[in-house]
Amino acid sequence: MADPLHQFKIETIVQGPVFEVGGIHVDLSLTNSVLAMLIAVGATLLFFAMTTARASIIPGRGQVVAESIFGLMDDLTDSIIGHEGRKFLPYVLTLFLFILSCNLVGMFTYFTATSQIAVTLTLAAMTILLVLGVGFIRNGLGFFKMFVPSGVPWYILVVLVPIEVIAFVMRPVTLTLRLFGNMLGGHIVMKVFAGFIITGLAMGIGGYAIGALSLSTIVALTTLEFLVAYLQAFVFAVLTCVYLSDVVNIGHH
Amino acid sequence: MTAATSPEAITTEGTDASGASFSANPSVTTVATLVPGTNEAVTHDVHATTTETVAAGEHHEASEGGLPQLNTDHWAGQIVWLVFIFAVFLLLMSKVFVPRIRKVIDTRGATIAEDLANARANRDEAEAQAKQAAAETAEAHAAARKLAAEAVARSNAEVAAATAAEDEKLGKRLAEAEARIRSARDEAMGHVADIASETASLLVEKLTGKAATAAALKSALGKV
Repeated sequence: MADPLHQFKIETIVQGPVFEVGGIHVDLSLTNSVLAMLIAVGATLLFFAMTTARASIIPGRGQVVAESIFGLMDDLTDSIIGHEGRKFLPYVLTLFLFILSCNLVGMFTYFTATSQIAVTLTLAAMTILLVLGVGFIRNGLGFFKMFVPSGVPWYILVVLVPIEVIAFVMRPVTLTLRLFGNMLGGHIVMKVFAGFIITGLAMGIGGYAIGALSLSTIVALTTLEFLVAYLQAFVFAVLTCVYLSDVVNIGHH
Repeated sequence: MTAATSPEAITTEGTDASGASFSANPSVTTVATLVPGTNEAVTHDVHATTTETVAAGEHHEASEGGLPQLNTDHWAGQIVWLVFIFAVFLLLMSKVFVPRIRKVIDTRGATIAEDLANARANRDEAEAQAKQAAAETAEAHAAARKLAAEAVARSNAEVAAATAAEDEKLGKRLAEAEARIRSARDEAMGHVADIASETASLLVEKLTGKAATAAALKSALGKV
């Protein structure tokens, strides 16, 4: 059976500059991961360029799709962050589209950039750095009021504040691992079942049932994975909005 | 910090590519590792231990094993590429596509609102015109009715006047006729005494042979 983890292996396609910055090994080669991201972003940009080039009041089919994605994120930022959500729409929309397109490229080709922990970690770090930046720029040291819910007696605060701090610190970790784990797990399971088909067929007549069962399972799993691909992008976007809302609306919750 | 550096040291020793430069100045390494983001360092810690066991256990049999994602060789390159790609993506989205779509949606909203307002204005205008037309009709009806009433009144007055004039004329002629009749009768009645005295004198003359005196006649007639 083929190694189900092989699909996550980074392979260099075009060798690029390799250097060390302060002991960190930086390999700027064009790898399959980078290529997957470039394809995903390129396709998304191409789609938006084509559908909104001649944007008209009465939209075409592509424009309806582009506008509904836009509207989905616009509603999200607006309903979660509030009237200031519009400022964060470009970031949330870009994040959503990036994750969604990478997930979908993973569904249609063999490499899923979002199953790379380096990628999900960077996305989570960008979000948290944005949250921290917005939090400190808008509120200064008032940012720390976020950990102290108002109107709570002190003896509960003693317990609550450490929990709030830990919850905040865990946010980038959960953001990283949720997306990473979903993509990793889904693709491994699909690959494993795909391996079962081959194994089953190799077993002869008796194995055909296993092969057929695995095939039907993989069809079902594929549809599920498409749902997960969308859902994880959406969840990431929702959580980004929630975290931004926390720092934008300090003292309102 | 030591916890972060030690597993990495093991991994790099395994690959032995950059082990020398790494161990030469570890203090620089730890500072530089923190630059992209502190979060990275945290998770790095967690997974570095896994890499360590994998590297220790399976390094001799196969070069690959465990999750390939946890091999940090490609992390920095991936992160640099990702940040670059994401930045371009974000720039294009925020400068080109988001304003473009926003404009279309706003324009559409404005157009729909404007059309609705226009339609509403047209409807109001039409209603106003209908009301005005109704008012004009009612006014015309009233005017016509008034005109008719006036005409009727005028004709009635004319008729009444004509009747009155005619009545008056007739009454005058009647009165004239009556006066004439009365005068004729009076005249006739005046003649009656003369006729009676004449007749009486003639009768007396025929009967007595001699003419009656005027005084006798008069006294005789006065007894009648």
